[in-house]
Amino acid sequence: MRSAWFFYRKEMLEMTRSYKLLWIPVVFIILGIMQPISAYYMPEILKMSGDVPPGMLELYKLPGAAETMAKSLGQYGMVGLLVLALSAMNSFAGEREGGTAELVLARPLTPLAAASAKWLAQLTLLALSLGLGAACAAYYTVRLIGGLSWSAVLEASALYGLWLLCVVSFTLLFSACLRAPAAAFLSLAAAAGLALLHTLLPRPLRWSPAALPQLSVEALMQQGATAYAWVFPVLSGIALIVLCFLGASLLFGRNKLPRF
Amino acid sequence: MPPLLQVSGLHKVFHGQTSVDGISFDMEQGRCVALLGPNGAGKTTTLRMLAGLLSPSRGSILFDGKPIGKDYRKQIGYLPQSPSFYNWMTGEEYMHFASRLSGMGRKEAAGRAAAMLERMGLEDAAKRRIGGYSGGMKQRLGLAQALVHAPRLLLLDEPVSALDPIGRREIMDLLREFGRETSVIFSTHVLHDAEEVCDDIIMMNRGRIAEHGTLSSLRVKYNRPVITLRVEERKAALQWLESFSTRSFILESRRDVDGSMLLKVEDMESARSVILREAAERGIPLLRFEAGSLSLEDVFMEAVGG
Amino acid sequence: MKTLDLSLLWPLFALQGLLAVIGLVSLARARSVRGPKWMWVIIILLGNLLGSLVYFTIGRKE
Repeated sequence: MRSAWFFYRKEMLEMTRSYKLLWIPVVFIILGIMQPISAYYMPEILKMSGDVPPGMLELYKLPGAAETMAKSLGQYGMVGLLVLALSAMNSFAGEREGGTAELVLARPLTPLAAASAKWLAQLTLLALSLGLGAACAAYYTVRLIGGLSWSAVLEASALYGLWLLCVVSFTLLFSACLRAPAAAFLSLAAAAGLALLHTLLPRPLRWSPAALPQLSVEALMQQGATAYAWVFPVLSGIALIVLCFLGASLLFGRNKLPRF
Repeated sequence: MPPLLQVSGLHKVFHGQTSVDGISFDMEQGRCVALLGPNGAGKTTTLRMLAGLLSPSRGSILFDGKPIGKDYRKQIGYLPQSPSFYNWMTGEEYMHFASRLSGMGRKEAAGRAAAMLERMGLEDAAKRRIGGYSGGMKQRLGLAQALVHAPRLLLLDEPVSALDPIGRREIMDLLREFGRETSVIFSTHVLHDAEEVCDDIIMMNRGRIAEHGTLSSLRVKYNRPVITLRVEERKAALQWLESFSTRSFILESRRDVDGSMLLKVEDMESARSVILREAAERGIPLLRFEAGSLSLEDVFMEAVGG
Repeated sequence: MKTLDLSLLWPLFALQGLLAVIGLVSLARARSVRGPKWMWVIIILLGNLLGSLVYFTIGRKE
């Protein structure tokens, strides 16, 4: 597995040189702090935009701290997810179609080691972006709106992060067998499909990883319906990630050469 | 001691299409083997199987008498047809990365990488991004990365076909140099390249081995007397030329693209006197008469049915 | 009316500026991008967060 470590270092160097390790965390921080700022300054923003019906401003109620934080995390589920999926879509597909896979896999590097390195690199990027983004969002929320329980923020971010990691793992799986744009599209579609199913059938699908965003909100509101509601979604999320990862390494081993 | 490489009954089928159709050969340590054949003969697929990138549909590859496994990859160096590197890396970084992947320690990797870059004439470009390299430089970097871990077997797929004459010359010289130190299999569709650096030639066509042997043995085997005739474009003369295809002393006749006739004959002495006598009697306007033997190029064309 | 607390607002603008700068540096160093470079300069400078995002996600060739 030493080769996996060298490959991981190569992945991280690539992310640095392509500025991904810089711009994606910056985007996450901006998305995170925009929510509390716009909630706080909403009356001013409305006033500046011109004709607001009288009485409207007085009706504006500052949302609660937990609600604001939940909205920040919700941004990561939309724009953040899009950014992560688009940045992971080339992971295997780029190496295969570009021909670099042919050279590295002729060395004693197994597809499993390469896949581990790639998955870990995506995890690093996700953890860094989400960690910084959520921390800044929480700081702004506390300063502008009101107190938050740090342990609740940590719990909520971890639950949300697991959901994001599920989708990124999907992207890696599809990237190992399809072209990059198809991989990004399919993984986002899969995420949307899972989320939709969960909204339609919330009770039968309580255990699905798509329940994680909802659980994250409940963790912030500190109103979890049942104490251990998170156990099955977390376990099924981890199972999904492991399956995607194993599938990706298997498919990468089979599809290491560009298509003709 | 078993031969370095034993290939037997290698088959590869892609989506119902046979790409390699039963290839068998042995290769001794230290030899240089050229896989010669037209495009689509199955050379690339064969090399990819030898590099362990594709698994054969049938057949086996033995290295040192053992099936190829994980350890095998440390002992081969592979250069694909048009190698792609990470364009954002420098040449030096890529060489380090490649050496470490092949299990070399930090110091050893740094030393070997620098030495190979220098040998390939890339020491000035070592700290530049690969994205800015020319085609010839990329090919030299490809050769450097294939050799950096001192492999026992070097597999090269069309190493010179995409290069300009100068780049081609450079790579051929390097190949001759490294061919003395290690065992090499390289594919090409140009006979001249094969003759220049290799001892053994495997001619491939449509996934099969059409001819296999050392250069000299192939020359001896195909050393058949051949008469080349060319006449002025007149009806009687051309008719006379055509008539050779049915004569008993002619083994085979073939019209060349330039209009001359190639005649494979049983016995040079008698054939020559018959042809010259007839030409004189009939007043044939001869342009060219040449008595020689088949060139390897002809052997190649014949083997691949061109 | 709330006073605009600049100490909390300027990091937002600084980060947006930083994102645009990263975008422009990456654009300047890229050998080729999808579409003309000047178009991306305008998109990054005028498009705020979205402009830089669009450049990074679809403008760059890998």
